[in-house]
Amino acid sequence: MARLSASEKLERLLSIVPWVVANNGPTVAEIAERFDYPESTLLSDLDEILFMVGLYPFTPDQLIEVVLDGDQVWIRYAEYFERPLRLTPAQALTLVTAGSSLLAAPGADPDGPLARGLAKVASTLGINPGDDLDIDLGAADAGVLATIRHAVDNTVQVELEYYVYGRDEITERVVDPYRVTSDQGEWYLLGYCHRAEGERLFRVDRIRRATALDSGFDRPASVRDVSVFEPHPDDPRVTLLLSPQARWVAEAHPVESVAELSNGGLRVTLAISAQAWLERLLVRLGPDATVESTTGDLPEDLLATTAARVLARYQV
Amino acid sequence: MAKLERLLNLMAALLETERPLTADELKRRIEGYPEAHASFRRAFERDKDDLREMGVPISLEPLPNTDPPQDGYRIRKADYYMRDPGLAPDELAALHLAANAIRVDTIASAEAMRKLGGVSVPTATDTALASVPTDPRLATLFSAVGQRQVVRFRYKDEDRSVEPWRLDFMRGRWYLSGFDRGRQGERHYRLDRIPGDITAGPSGAFERHAPSTGVRKQPWELGDQPPRLARLLIDADHASWARHHIGQPAEEREDGSVVLEVEVTNAEAFRGFALTFLEHAEILDPPDLRQDMIDWLAALVGQGGTGARQ
Repeated sequence: MARLSASEKLERLLSIVPWVVANNGPTVAEIAERFDYPESTLLSDLDEILFMVGLYPFTPDQLIEVVLDGDQVWIRYAEYFERPLRLTPAQALTLVTAGSSLLAAPGADPDGPLARGLAKVASTLGINPGDDLDIDLGAADAGVLATIRHAVDNTVQVELEYYVYGRDEITERVVDPYRVTSDQGEWYLLGYCHRAEGERLFRVDRIRRATALDSGFDRPASVRDVSVFEPHPDDPRVTLLLSPQARWVAEAHPVESVAELSNGGLRVTLAISAQAWLERLLVRLGPDATVESTTGDLPEDLLATTAARVLARYQV
Repeated sequence: MAKLERLLNLMAALLETERPLTADELKRRIEGYPEAHASFRRAFERDKDDLREMGVPISLEPLPNTDPPQDGYRIRKADYYMRDPGLAPDELAALHLAANAIRVDTIASAEAMRKLGGVSVPTATDTALASVPTDPRLATLFSAVGQRQVVRFRYKDEDRSVEPWRLDFMRGRWYLSGFDRGRQGERHYRLDRIPGDITAGPSGAFERHAPSTGVRKQPWELGDQPPRLARLLIDADHASWARHHIGQPAEEREDGSVVLEVEVTNAEAFRGFALTFLEHAEILDPPDLRQDMIDWLAALVGQGGTGARQ
C-alpha cells in the first residue's frame, strides 16, 4: 500500500476512532483492512500519535487513552472524536447515487437491505430517493438482465435470441458474456459472439430471450470498457443537409464532420453500420433532412422506398 | 508525523472549546507550531485549509466582550458530527456492494464507507455495472436539494435563481428540475449546459414542494396540444421492447402483438416515436393522428427525398 499523507491518515483516524470505541477490542489487522490503513504504521500511529492527542494543558487526564493488549486495541477518553465527521456533499452524492443506481436496475429488490440502507442514509441528508434524485440506467427485462449478470459472474455461456436493430431481424447466437454495463442510458452486454466469431456489443433491451448454458469459457484477463459506437473504416458514409430544426442530429449521433450552412442548418457526415438505422432517421426527419451523397451500397432513394414500405402498412 | 498530531490536537481544541479561540490562543495551546509570527500564520492557514478540504466546518466568529472586537475559531459540534443513520450490518454491506458496482467518485465513495464504519470486503474493479459521471457542481446541487438552498447559475445566457427540487440522471446525463424564480415556473436544466459555477444560498430558503415528475417525460408528452389518447399497434417482435420502455400495454393480441395507449400532447414527437418501429407499428387511433402519419409518408414517397425545407 502506498504511504499515506498526513491528511489521508487524519481522514482515516477520524473514522477509525469512533469504530474502535464502539467495538470491543478489535485487532490491528482488522482495523487496517477495514479502513484501508497500512498495518505497518497503524500500530505506531495509534501508540505514538493518537496517544499524544488531547486538550490543553495536556496533562495525562486530558489525553486520549489508547490501550494495546496483544494485537487488540481499545480507545478511551476521546469523546470529541466519538462520532464520525459528517459526509461531505461529494461523499453523500456518491453514496446515494451508487445506491439509487443499483436499486434502479431492473430486478433489484425494492424492500431489500440496499433499499433500507439507502433510505436511512438519505434521510440524514434530507433527501428522498426517487423523489429528489432518480437514476435511470436504462430499461431492460429483469429476467434477461438477471440471467446475463449471473452468467457473467459465473463465467458460463448464454444463448441469446437477439433483435438486430440495424438489419431489422431476429437472430439466435451463443455468446461468452464478458461484462454487463450501462452506458448513456442503455444496458449492454459485451461478449464473444460465436455466430459472428468476434467480440460484439449487445443491447440488453433487444435481447428477447437469454438462457444460461452449462458450458464455461475462458474469460480474457482484461476486458475492454464498453464504447458504444465504433465506426468501421469500411462502413458506408452518408452526407446529410439538415434544416435548422434538425441540428440536434449532430448532437445526438456521432457525426464525422459538421459544417454550418448559410440557412442556419448543418451539413453532416455519418458512418452507417446498418441501413435500417439510417432509414429510421430519414423517415423521422422527413423534409428536415436531404441526402446529399452516399458511399458504398447505400441507395440514394432510401427515404422514398422506406416511406413507401411503412405506408403499405396503412393499406393506402 | 508532527503534522498529524498537530491537526488532531487542533481539531480536539476547536471541538471542545466553550467559546471561539483566537489564533494566538491556539498557537499557545497546541504544540508543533513555529515560534515566529509569520511562519506560524502560514502553517496555521495551511492546517485550516487542509481541514476545510476534508469537510471539517471551522467557523470564524466574533469573540464576546472584546474591545477592539476580535474573532476566534471553533468547530460547532452540530455541524461536525454525522447523524448516525443506524445501519444494520446487511445494509452497510449492501451499500458497499452498490458503491463497488456503480462507479461514481471512487475516492469519495471509499471515504464515505469508512465514515459509516468501514467494510472488510475486497473490492473488485472490472465488474462495475455502470459509471455515473459526477462533478463538484453536482455535489453543490445535491446538498441544495436536501437543504432547500436557492442556487444561482448561468443558463442560456441568463442568470438564473432556482429552487432546486430534483436531480435526474438519464440517457447518460444529469438534469436539474426546479422552480425558476425569474420565470416563475418549473424548469429543467441540463447540467452539462450550465457553463460556469453554481452557488448555493442559505438553508431552508423555500418550502418542500410536491414531488416533481422531473424530466422523465416521454417526448410526446412534452407539448401543449390538448391531450389525446393514442393507440399504437406494435408487432410481436418488438412487443417486449415496448413493454420495458413504455409500460404495460393496454391490449395483448393472440399473435403476440400489443397495443400501447398513451396520452399525446405533441403529435409530431408521437409520429417520430411510431416511425422508430418502421413498418412494425401502426397508429390505430385517433383518426387524425393516423391520417397525419399517412400524409407524412405519402409526401415523402412523392418527393423522393429532395428536401423541401432547406
